[in-house]
Amino acid sequence: MPYAASIGTYLPCWGSDRHRVPGEDEDAITLSVEAGRAALTNGGAVEKVVIVSRDLPLLESSNAAVVLAGLSLDPELEVDERLGGAPATLDALSSARPRTLIIGADIDPAGAAAVLTAERGLRVRIAARLARSLPVHTRNAVGGMHDNGDPRLLHERGLVAALDAAWVDTPAAVAGIDHARARELCRQEPAALPTTGASSGLFALAAMAEMRTSSLLVAVEQASLSGLTVVNGAARIHRREPAARPIPVGTFVAGADIPISLAAYERAFEAKVRWVAGKYADSDVLDFPPRYRVGNDGALSTRYELVPLPRTGTVYTEATVCVPVPGLHTPYSLVIVELDDVDVRALVKVTGATPGTVGIGDRGRLALRRVAVRCGVPDYGYAFEPQATA
Amino acid sequence: MRRVAIVGAGMTPFAEHFTLGIKDLLPMAFADCVRSVDKGLDKHTIQAAWFGAMGTTDGLASETLADSLGLPDLSVTRVENSCATGNDAVRNALFGVASGMVEVALVIGADKPRDTTSKDMLWRWAAMSRDMAWDYPLGMLTPAGFALHVARYLHESPATREHMAMVAVKNRRHGVNNPKALLRFEITVEQVLGAETVVTPFGAYDCAPQSDGAAALLLAAEEVVDRFTSRPVRIRGVGLGLDSVMHQHKSDMTTFPATVRAAKQAFAMAGMTPSDIDVAEVHDFLTGVELISYEDLGFVERFGAYKLIEAEVTSAGGALPVNPSGGMIAKGHPPGATGVAQCVELFEQLRGDAANQVDGAHIGLAHNIGGPTAVSAVTILEGPGAQPIRMRRVS
Repeated sequence: MPYAASIGTYLPCWGSDRHRVPGEDEDAITLSVEAGRAALTNGGAVEKVVIVSRDLPLLESSNAAVVLAGLSLDPELEVDERLGGAPATLDALSSARPRTLIIGADIDPAGAAAVLTAERGLRVRIAARLARSLPVHTRNAVGGMHDNGDPRLLHERGLVAALDAAWVDTPAAVAGIDHARARELCRQEPAALPTTGASSGLFALAAMAEMRTSSLLVAVEQASLSGLTVVNGAARIHRREPAARPIPVGTFVAGADIPISLAAYERAFEAKVRWVAGKYADSDVLDFPPRYRVGNDGALSTRYELVPLPRTGTVYTEATVCVPVPGLHTPYSLVIVELDDVDVRALVKVTGATPGTVGIGDRGRLALRRVAVRCGVPDYGYAFEPQATA
Repeated sequence: MRRVAIVGAGMTPFAEHFTLGIKDLLPMAFADCVRSVDKGLDKHTIQAAWFGAMGTTDGLASETLADSLGLPDLSVTRVENSCATGNDAVRNALFGVASGMVEVALVIGADKPRDTTSKDMLWRWAAMSRDMAWDYPLGMLTPAGFALHVARYLHESPATREHMAMVAVKNRRHGVNNPKALLRFEITVEQVLGAETVVTPFGAYDCAPQSDGAAALLLAAEEVVDRFTSRPVRIRGVGLGLDSVMHQHKSDMTTFPATVRAAKQAFAMAGMTPSDIDVAEVHDFLTGVELISYEDLGFVERFGAYKLIEAEVTSAGGALPVNPSGGMIAKGHPPGATGVAQCVELFEQLRGDAANQVDGAHIGLAHNIGGPTAVSAVTILEGPGAQPIRMRRVS
């Protein structure tokens, strides 16, 4: 029977209170990393990561390396990438061993939530699991979507029939459906959940933990469901949920395939996605990016170690690109950030702020974002989120 | 080391030469250069050439030049050093002639940015000078790299957007008289400030337009100068300076250390100081860059550039006219050709033949800063005879 030691949540700042949308530099992986880092705010050992989503950016190749690097976790850890919605995430939690980080992430509405399991904390146990088929909404392997357009059928023979068949009690929360329908099915007024997909059950769990509700949590996806009984105990809750605001109007000129050197991508990956610098044993200087060095005598030094960089800093200078740039959303702001407590600056894009509103001297944090998509490759790096919205 | 002089200089108009390829622009610039050689030139006299080009040359650069000039025996070296390519080609040719290995050399620069479609321009040309893993995917366009400098410069110095606008107004006014310039109409400060923003703090009129072009210089060892002219323009100093490729490694972004290094070398070689310069062609790909460069070249103290532009010191008729050709703001910037074209302008200025003639100009300086503000080249030229310096304003 697993225990949730901490729960982290993340919502993009864009959209409305009831419907967040990802920034153009966000995807299910960056959302997952935000939620995962929130769950790991107070530390805690992680031995395995399970990431559940129906919006994974790479279905061929893997998202695992980016997730682990973004979470500053050992690249030797097992990462289980599961295609699924709300029930799949609760299944992952109910069967998790201690020191497992379970993350659910959604794009529409956007949000992510993560749970770190341990030997103590908020105790949950499986209450129901039922797989049924009523594919009213479908999406195929290449993203083609189909809506068969029968919400009544979905409600009656999907949701209600599944609850009947599962023989579950009246739940305290139902994840995976809109709030109005959840209210009809719950014993008391449930917390409004910001998402309806893989992350929604964990958002519901966070709300129940905050309200200290010991009862049934059901997660549904069309005609399938899973249920958890929240038994007792407490979990730390860390929410990264800034107030919602409209996404800035911008321009996107399609048709450009931004070139990429995959060899250069691979060489830079660790430092760029893990946010680490190179340091030689005989020097206090941090090289970012890491680099070979040549001494005055011509001797070559290559054996640097990678050390973590601070994730907060101050803007040294800023420029906002307003002219349309094929393949990128414009306008966008570029800043050089002086990282706190080290003699390192970084050139990054601005995230989570209207372009052109960040100025010299502003403070903020560095967050993993999808910098660009180049020849089919989501190219991740760090972006500066100003403090006002951090 | 032998002394070296420029004995001929010419260029094509800088324009959107959609109907002309590199193979057309090279002979055009060469012919224009030969026309300026007072005593004429048999092209077979040229022993070696240094060809500056940053982009495509429609084939192997060296062979393209030799073939398009009909000089199969010519030894050609391609030079590529981003926006400093042209002046670096001058520098390398100087070394060849000064060493005694070559008596007569051709320096030629050419580029055709407009052979790249507008849609592909930003990514394709940025790929030549950006770290592909770190900076390139951020959309670090060339103006953005300079903008990071200028934004910090405006933050720390008394200079303002209005001072930048004054640079655009000045250079566009200079360009009106230059038949080789692309944009030959004046603009106002208000128009500059009201123009659509490209990259903050640059509006459309703060930026050089995109243009194609080629320019050529004929260099000769002092011993053979008399065969070509009695009015040579001597190359007194050259310098090449570098700086970090990545902007995050530049400690003080209110300056271009590459320029400081290049200028220091060139002035030391010439045995001169900035106060010796009568006329200059300074890198003005973006207006703010010209302001910072005034300080890096030693024309004024740190953060004092705004005084020069306010007092019209660098306007035609001022004490130190800068970019009397109209600069890149009026001509555009085909990188391989730009630095060479600057020397073409100075060749004419120092011989008293320029369209916007600076009276009595005797010493001229050409300057480029480019790539991710990582390379600069400076060339100092001396005219055939010292003359009293009397400035006049262009009508």
